[in-house]
Amino acid sequence: MKATPFIFAAALLVGCTSVIKTADKVERGLTPPDAINYVTTKADGTFVVQMNDTRIGNKIELLAARKSKTPGGFAVVQFDFRNGAFLGQNINVSFEWLSANGQVTERQDNWVPTLLEPGAIKTVTATALKAESAECRLRLISR
Amino acid sequence: MNKTLLLASALLIVGCGTPASYKDPNGRDLVVSLEKVNIQDFATAGSAMLQSMVQSKAFDRKDPPVLQLGQILNDTTNNFDTSLLLSKITMPLVNAGRIQLIESDPVASAARTATPGAKVPTPEFVLKGKILEDRANAGRTRQASYIFQLTLVDVRTSLAVWAKEETVTKAGSKNSVGF
Repeated sequence: MKATPFIFAAALLVGCTSVIKTADKVERGLTPPDAINYVTTKADGTFVVQMNDTRIGNKIELLAARKSKTPGGFAVVQFDFRNGAFLGQNINVSFEWLSANGQVTERQDNWVPTLLEPGAIKTVTATALKAESAECRLRLISR
Repeated sequence: MNKTLLLASALLIVGCGTPASYKDPNGRDLVVSLEKVNIQDFATAGSAMLQSMVQSKAFDRKDPPVLQLGQILNDTTNNFDTSLLLSKITMPLVNAGRIQLIESDPVASAARTATPGAKVPTPEFVLKGKILEDRANAGRTRQASYIFQLTLVDVRTSLAVWAKEETVTKAGSKNSVGF
């Protein structure tokens, strides 16, 4: 009976950090890692989807990607998403702009949290700040 | 004896914590505070407002408009510099050459005065705004909303040519890490 508190105290003296690290490892092992998914527009008007996280891929559906230009000549892209799941989904979106030769010209550094109710369609609009920005690469990650 | 050990154990538990580490300021695992505007709140509101502003009629032209910053009123209980929001909008626009921003720096003004033929362009637009706060409680759950309002005013007519309100709402019983 008296041994229990001793063992408990000894375990704590080993160090909280190692306990936290072990718990973190276990949690990471049980939870699939977050991965970024990409949708990139192409010069011919189509788009390419790069799905790295299938959990979100089974729930969020990309309906359309439209590309146009402002009267000032800057590229504008709209992406339509639909939540096909029965539960609300929290996704984070961000985008990068690419020049015609594929170089990154500008990027939105922060993630924008977006809530999608079941069945909801959400449109994400991105307008380029630079004239050389031609194609848009949307970045999407689940919460 | 047992009491002493239990007390020592309790003290050790209280001492447990996560050591400080560097974080990506644009990442998803930053501290979310209920009592203050976090750095990611400025980024979220600023990027949404920037996108809205460049889609407005004032930016439907090839030559960059001349902009001057007006007053941004902080009407929250937090003390912060409003340039935390404005820089998220003006910096990308200036660096992309989409606006000409008039800066009223005393050294630059003195240098300009001493330069023959130098003159400041007349501002076409003034950007003004307000940041507000709204709080609500339900039991232990606290909710804080920060409302960012910006208006772009045409100085020739004093008409608002663009206006946007962006609200960032956070709720919970205590501060946390992550979105």
